[in-house]
Amino acid sequence: MATTSGSTVIGESILINGNLNGDEDLTVRGRVEGTVTLSRTLVVEPSGVVKAEVQVRNCVIAGAVIGNVTATESVEITKEGRMVGDIAAPRVIIVDGASFKGRVDMGEVDVGAERAAPRAALSRAQRPALATARPTARVAREEAVGEAPAPRPPAPPPALGMGAVKRKVVVKRK
Amino acid sequence: MAVIEKPAAPRSGAQTVIGSSIVIDGEISGDEDLVIEGTVKGKIALRESLFVESSGVIEADIETANVEVSGQVTGNIAATQKVELKAACKVMGDIRAPRILIADGAVFRGNVDMDMGARAPKGK
Repeated sequence: MATTSGSTVIGESILINGNLNGDEDLTVRGRVEGTVTLSRTLVVEPSGVVKAEVQVRNCVIAGAVIGNVTATESVEITKEGRMVGDIAAPRVIIVDGASFKGRVDMGEVDVGAERAAPRAALSRAQRPALATARPTARVAREEAVGEAPAPRPPAPPPALGMGAVKRKVVVKRK
Repeated sequence: MAVIEKPAAPRSGAQTVIGSSIVIDGEISGDEDLVIEGTVKGKIALRESLFVESSGVIEADIETANVEVSGQVTGNIAATQKVELKAACKVMGDIRAPRILIADGAVFRGNVDMDMGARAPKGK
């Protein structure tokens, strides 16, 4: 279990309806509806159900998520995970067995030659189809602010502080 | 006696913890113990015990079986069993419960109502 001591746990029988903000890891085994905004990691365990607009750094989905997830680092849907909604994150991991319906946006797609190019805005503009298909302007703006200056590191992620990440199938890198 | 008392501190059994940096604006309901170290605004409805730790801040109406307050509560508390205000807690609001304990050092302003009508009087 990826839970670290001292973090917040929402137990199985608990229902939270409203806005949830915080600066620590959050493990959901119950239900959360509304919005979730964290500067750390959200872990939705198999018994957990999140029907919310989620903005976090990392997100690990082993339960059910309905709603859009925006992560500044990564989103992983494990084999038990079910999700309906759009994902916006520089790293998106969907392992075999996971179920997902929605749009994935990893920001700039590194197509060979563009890999080292720092002109993120340009490469974004060259993909009109994707850019216009983006669901909300808010998501697009956040990506532009959060990700444009830092090209995605090619090495495996250093920042995942959670042991549960298996990194089996990385659906992207292309 | 119909009332089954729970031990005063079943905190080890508590599964749900709202950490100190968490702010919840809305409604929390559930059937298990809840430990709050952060901030909750809105409403809390539980069938078990609520623990407001010293870092916890509640601005909500509370309906539970047991409440133990070491932090701050602004709002009305209705408990079916017991409300305990620990030393150094701050509570503003009305309390309704068959058993209410206020420790030396607790700060409290509000009405207290121990007359729960249907509850059997306890040897008084």
